[in-house]
Amino acid sequence: MAKNDLQGTLDLLVLKTLAQMGELHGYGIVLHIQRASEELLRVEEGSLYPALHRMEQSGWIASQWAHTVTNRKAKYYKLTPRGRHQLQRAEESFDQLVKGVRTMLRYA
Amino acid sequence: MSIFRRMTNLLHRSRLDRDIHAELQAHIELRIEHNLAAGMSPEKARRDALVRFGNRTATREHVTSADAALLISSIGSDIRYAIRQLVKNPGFALAAILSLALGIGATVSVFSVIYGVLLHPFPYANVARLANLSLSDPRGNIFDAGFTGQQFRELRNVHAFEGIATWDSQHLTVTGHDVPENAIAFFGIGETFVTLGVPPLLGRNLGPSDSPEGQEPLPVVMLHYRFWQRHFHGDPAVIGKTLELNHRPYTIVGVTRPHFTWGWGADVYLPEEAAQGGGVVVRLRPGVSLAAANAELQPMLERFAQERPHSFPPKFKVDIRPLTFETTRNMGGTLYLLFAAVAMLLMIGCSNVSILLLARGTARRHEFALRSAVGASSLRIVRQLLTESLLLAFTGTGLGIVMAYQLLQLLVAWMPSGMFPPDVAIRINVPVLLFTAGLALLSSVLFGLVPALQMAKPDIGQVMQTSTSRTAGSVRGKRLHSGLVAAQIALTLVLLTAAGAAVRGFLHLLNVPLGYDPRNVVSAGIPLQENTYTTWEARVNYFEQLRASVSALPDVVSASIAHNATPPHSGSEQRFELRDKPSSSPESQTARVHFVDSGYFSTLQVPLLQGRTWSAGEVAHGARLVVVNQTLARRYYPNGDIAGHVIRVSALQASPPDWLTAPGADDWMQVIGVVGDSLNDGLDHPVRPAIFAPYSTLLPRGTQILIRTRVVPEPVLYSIRKQLATVSPDQQTYGVIADLEKWIRDEPEWARGRLISALFAGFSVAALFLSGVGLYSVLSYSVAQRTNEFGIRMALGATRRHVLRIATASAGVSVGIGIAIGLVLSLGMNHIVASRVGITTSHPLIVLGVSLLLLVVAGVACLVPARKVLSIDPIIALRSE
Repeated sequence: MAKNDLQGTLDLLVLKTLAQMGELHGYGIVLHIQRASEELLRVEEGSLYPALHRMEQSGWIASQWAHTVTNRKAKYYKLTPRGRHQLQRAEESFDQLVKGVRTMLRYA
Repeated sequence: MSIFRRMTNLLHRSRLDRDIHAELQAHIELRIEHNLAAGMSPEKARRDALVRFGNRTATREHVTSADAALLISSIGSDIRYAIRQLVKNPGFALAAILSLALGIGATVSVFSVIYGVLLHPFPYANVARLANLSLSDPRGNIFDAGFTGQQFRELRNVHAFEGIATWDSQHLTVTGHDVPENAIAFFGIGETFVTLGVPPLLGRNLGPSDSPEGQEPLPVVMLHYRFWQRHFHGDPAVIGKTLELNHRPYTIVGVTRPHFTWGWGADVYLPEEAAQGGGVVVRLRPGVSLAAANAELQPMLERFAQERPHSFPPKFKVDIRPLTFETTRNMGGTLYLLFAAVAMLLMIGCSNVSILLLARGTARRHEFALRSAVGASSLRIVRQLLTESLLLAFTGTGLGIVMAYQLLQLLVAWMPSGMFPPDVAIRINVPVLLFTAGLALLSSVLFGLVPALQMAKPDIGQVMQTSTSRTAGSVRGKRLHSGLVAAQIALTLVLLTAAGAAVRGFLHLLNVPLGYDPRNVVSAGIPLQENTYTTWEARVNYFEQLRASVSALPDVVSASIAHNATPPHSGSEQRFELRDKPSSSPESQTARVHFVDSGYFSTLQVPLLQGRTWSAGEVAHGARLVVVNQTLARRYYPNGDIAGHVIRVSALQASPPDWLTAPGADDWMQVIGVVGDSLNDGLDHPVRPAIFAPYSTLLPRGTQILIRTRVVPEPVLYSIRKQLATVSPDQQTYGVIADLEKWIRDEPEWARGRLISALFAGFSVAALFLSGVGLYSVLSYSVAQRTNEFGIRMALGATRRHVLRIATASAGVSVGIGIAIGLVLSLGMNHIVASRVGITTSHPLIVLGVSLLLLVVAGVACLVPARKVLSIDPIIALRSE
């Protein structure tokens, strides 16, 4: 996949994760994507953070510092109403993409 | 996106960095924990965590840029770049900044004066319902109605009025010091302060309880802030102290606020009533119209007029006017004219900035295309341009504010005195400052962005490949340029014609033949206290003693008594009769009647043309002999034989104890001499016929002594005061003894003329400069852009002259259209301006002159770009591809 598509996909995965799990820190998001995709998707952990911050600047997600169960301070993210909208759009366009790619591959 | 959050991010940059570091660190720690839990050795767990995370430094930078760099963090570098750009083009930057600063400074200062003097001169509660009780006669003259104590009390019961405020002033002497000091006192305050509704600065206001009905008023006084500063140096413990006025002690109960304008220059306010009475300001009941109040008052005032016929004009109508009527009548025309001028200057300034920014933006298209091609987003370019515009706007506004303060000082110093209350608060008006600053910002941002918006989706390839930067710009851009240039030229022409007319009018005033010599002559006002020197002999003697004492001073050349004869406004307009020539219209046969002594003419150096003046004895006895001026002599006796004929001024009647007359003052008086004309109706009116009678004929309660000194009068003033006090220790003079040149400068026409001509001249020179710069920059940018095209034209055989014509054609058209519109506007406004301030702009020489001046400036502005066209070498121009 081209770089742009990957980035778009990462956003989609993060938004979906937060939609499914509520509040999560970055590491938690990484774990969830891995687990929920049954280990098919593996996010390069560092690259997650620029995306998180960009989405926060866009107002899709919001963050706050909190303590983990092991009493470590971590930054937790959650979806905003705007993020929910964005998730819907991203899902639709991803569906389009998948449909398009699949149709193309089936072309004989 | 929240720009605000980005800005706070910028401000908390270091905290943000720490935050990001902590977040990333937490991630790694969590992974290590996880790995340990999965059974890895600590060292392996750590290594695995780091490997999975990837390059930490790079990630941190990416995160940081996601947070801040998108818009804000690079703004510092934008500003630095913008400053570099402006410094690289100092001419452009300076012109743009000056354009804004001049417009803002001038507009703000003039509007501040308008606000202080015209819109809000009276800091009273519910000022809209306050009105001056005035009368108008069938000729349209407006008078202040005058009332006495009992009448004031009746006025209080008028239904239309919620309250009344009285003004009734007299000169009092502050006694108990070495030199007696004049104090302007306002009497019979009663409920005035209650009606005005202004709290005091210190102590309490005077009120009705200070003058209880049927009892002696309390000996208390309220000081005006100005007097408190002058006499008590702002002593905060002044309340309860004593002020001695005419040897009577008064207890100080309060001090007014600094900009309290009641009484136009009052020093002290007293509860006691004076005999003469004064005017009234009323507070109308809510919902009562001026017309209704007029109607209710008319019968009552007609009754008053029957009781005291002298105090009311014949066939008067009650004509209550808003409080600001007088200040507006005095200063409205002048100030609104000035405001129109500065508004034009502001428009020229803003359009100039627009022109400069447009021209520059167009010239920089290539640069932007290049930046765009190497990866700058259009947002980034817009931001860059915005930064530059804002930098210009803010610098210009800042400088404009400084200029506004400077100009305001000049304006205040040059405002005609006596046309508005001296205590009005004139200070920089913040709303208008914000408005003009906003206008400046808007125009620079708007026009700064036009090229950027055109560039927002530039066809980079085209611009880059064909070097479009060196061909004529788009038609729309050029039209905008031409329109702005034409508008500037038109406005400049209007300003220049107005300035020309104002300067011409003022020069005319300066060169008016005075008919007397004002140099080294001072006029000392001598007020008398109530009920002093009440017999004719005593008063004549006293005046003569005062005069003699002053003339004994070594530095005094001569001193003369003149009740009301200090030029350029002298005498009072009175009807007169000629026994040999009964007038067909006695109503309108009037002259300026003066009461002077025989030294008056030599003190003022008015030449005696025919006959003689009085001897000292004749003056002392109130001889029935008069001197007339040349205008009167010529008008009624063109053959030069007026001497020996007799004249009567019938209105000369005594009203003791204030006005005393010599026996037979209203009898026939013989003309014994003719003197040269000297101004008696102000600087801008022809000399009126004048009659001079011995001062002893009519003695008012006070006089003036005209004193010619050997040297400049200022050092002599103190000894004059001391000398007067030797005659009578309590004899003060009116506040300032002024020389007659100052009397001329204080004439409203003179002061107004100076204000308007100086400011208009200044503003129009500024406008001329700005439009010149505007024209120059439009033309030189267009030449710079079209160098290539001109090269091709020349290579194809066009002559230099031909190319020059093409290059300057559009500018020429703009200038032409601008001048045409400007002429139409000037001529059209001529009528309005003339009716407002009495200057006409349509003088053909002025119009021709300023048009020529504009053409010359336009020519100079075109000269440099034109030379550039002429120096184009076609080969080089083509090779520069």
